[in-house]
Amino acid sequence: MINLEFIINTISLGSLYAMLALGLVIIYGILRLVNFAYGELIMVGGYTLYLLASFSPLPWLFIALLAVLVAMFTSLFTELVAFRPVREKSLTAMLVTSFAVSTLLQNGALLIISPRARAVVLPQIFQTSVMIAGTSVPWRNILTILTSLVMLVLLTLLLRHTVLGIALRAAADNFTMTRMLGVPANTVISAAFAISGIMAGLVSIFWISRSATVTPALGAPPLLVAFVATVIGGMRSLTGAVVGGFVYAIVISLLGVLLPPGLLEFREAFMFVFVIIILLFRPQGLISSKTSVERVG
Amino acid sequence: MNKKSQHWTLLAVLLVFSLLLGACGGGVPQDETIKIGAALCLTGIQAPLDEPALKGAQLAVEEINKKGGVLGKQVELINLDCKSDPVVTGNVAIQLIDQGAHAIIAPSDFDFGGPASREAQKAGLVGISPAASSPFYGSAALGDKQFTMSMWNTTMGAAAAQYAREQGWDTAYVVTDDFIQYTKDLGQYFVAHFKTLGGTVLFEESYTQGAGDFSAQLARIKALPEPPDFFYISSYMPDLGLIIRTMREAGITQPIIGGDSYDDPGLFQALGPEYGNDIVFATHTWVSADASPQMAEFLSAYEAKFGGPPEAMWAATGWDVVHVLTGAMEKAGSTDGAAMAKAMEDNTWELLTGNLDWEPADKGHETHKQAAMVSLNGGTPEFIGWLMPESQPAP
Repeated sequence: MINLEFIINTISLGSLYAMLALGLVIIYGILRLVNFAYGELIMVGGYTLYLLASFSPLPWLFIALLAVLVAMFTSLFTELVAFRPVREKSLTAMLVTSFAVSTLLQNGALLIISPRARAVVLPQIFQTSVMIAGTSVPWRNILTILTSLVMLVLLTLLLRHTVLGIALRAAADNFTMTRMLGVPANTVISAAFAISGIMAGLVSIFWISRSATVTPALGAPPLLVAFVATVIGGMRSLTGAVVGGFVYAIVISLLGVLLPPGLLEFREAFMFVFVIIILLFRPQGLISSKTSVERVG
Repeated sequence: MNKKSQHWTLLAVLLVFSLLLGACGGGVPQDETIKIGAALCLTGIQAPLDEPALKGAQLAVEEINKKGGVLGKQVELINLDCKSDPVVTGNVAIQLIDQGAHAIIAPSDFDFGGPASREAQKAGLVGISPAASSPFYGSAALGDKQFTMSMWNTTMGAAAAQYAREQGWDTAYVVTDDFIQYTKDLGQYFVAHFKTLGGTVLFEESYTQGAGDFSAQLARIKALPEPPDFFYISSYMPDLGLIIRTMREAGITQPIIGGDSYDDPGLFQALGPEYGNDIVFATHTWVSADASPQMAEFLSAYEAKFGGPPEAMWAATGWDVVHVLTGAMEKAGSTDGAAMAKAMEDNTWELLTGNLDWEPADKGHETHKQAAMVSLNGGTPEFIGWLMPESQPAP
């Protein structure tokens, strides 16, 4: 069962999960906030795809770009309107705010569009498969892998070689110290939310193209995946997020083919046992940042 | 505004509210109208079934009122959203009963509809679900005044098994979504009946709604020495779209059979002409004139009210459920729960969703109803015909 097709599918799934986890961890790294509205950014991206692909004559590539932008601006907007006013107060306030934003966005989609699943019109490339070494592989899977590779390279370049990137990494390690050294907090945090939004937008394209449908509650499953992946990989490390995403995808796929038939329905339970074992031995996750400190104030 | 005047404003607001509440609570409930309480879900995973059903019910109430109402009174339909949450459903039913409902319409699923029926039973009212198909939905589990209008999953699964055997298909690969009772039941009854009819089930696969990935299952399907004659997939939207697309993308072209959860325009569009081929499902009816003699009347009334044809067949179940309730009131001559339940058991009901007979309460209120078989080819659904399985598995 573990053949080329399975390996490509798993790598594609891992790439998708890695992008998901990156978007969540980049905000956690700086604010120590698990953004529970992250899943809704994917939902917003998805509805942008649905609306534009159904009701506008724009070419698909442009629509995809707009979906990413809309997710990014939604992320920035939520930061500005919801998180910034409570940022100085307490972490708990921000956590509750993220739930509020999530509920608000979900109910917005319910009211404005429909509670029913809507079909997203996809371009031809998402409907075709290519033969590789005798097995048919959907183009979508190949595109997922390529996109995540490009994003990883771009993100690495940004973080290693630009002032903003260095500020982001410094803020992730020690936010108070970074601020004392004169890095403006608002800029760094906005940048983190923008990157998170871009990740959510990209994920929305590939997440939705698998089922070709959007629903208001779409954001919950990817949020859970991202959260578990970051717990596995390490909540403070971007490398950890990528590793976590791949480990999650590989373990869940392997469980799916290796478990005996009677135990298959407990696949998720085995997955979480695996997570617990990892946490017992490495509570900080597989990859931990050596220099990071607790958020103060 | 200073602190002190803020307090006074708050106090004034509270006072007004308490006066308003008092005014509401103090009134004696007056039976000027017949109230049907609907606890249907307009949000969440039940919404695709319940939202169209509510529209159908609203239309039915309007048409009945135009013809003079029931027992000389106008009918009033009150719906409160259950949010696809069993706890909310129970609370909504209690509230509807407090508001004077004479009967309760429950969501179309045992897990979500059951709590509403239990509350109706406690209050001595008839509770009915438009399309809950679990064999648990009846008098045995919920009480002697509780009904479902749907064929049970025993019939739905058996209809699919018989259809497959009639096509000469011998081997099946079954995928069961283990997230809710409905999908588990349906898969199980299909498997039981398909084996009884001499078919072979190659493998019973599981999937969990929300998992969002079918690649491990796909690997197992691809590893089969011989592909099955067809697949039976018991799941529902939105992940049903993902499962079928993943399979078709990977070049699996065998027919796929399923139950009434396939009856969703969202699924037809998500699959499109590319992947929406060789799919057959057993459902409650079909919104085309050849499905039922009353369908033409329903469709024209629906278009007049909502400005277009129904989005899905579920609208017909909502229309039917109101007609059954008001019909039972007429036949019983009252809105008494026990009398209505008796009338429902004693009569045969000619509905948009086919002819319906209920067993008495001591036999679980089992429904005798045929399945409407619908095919999906080139992304377009088409009514094949009615099918009454010759035999069916025990619930």
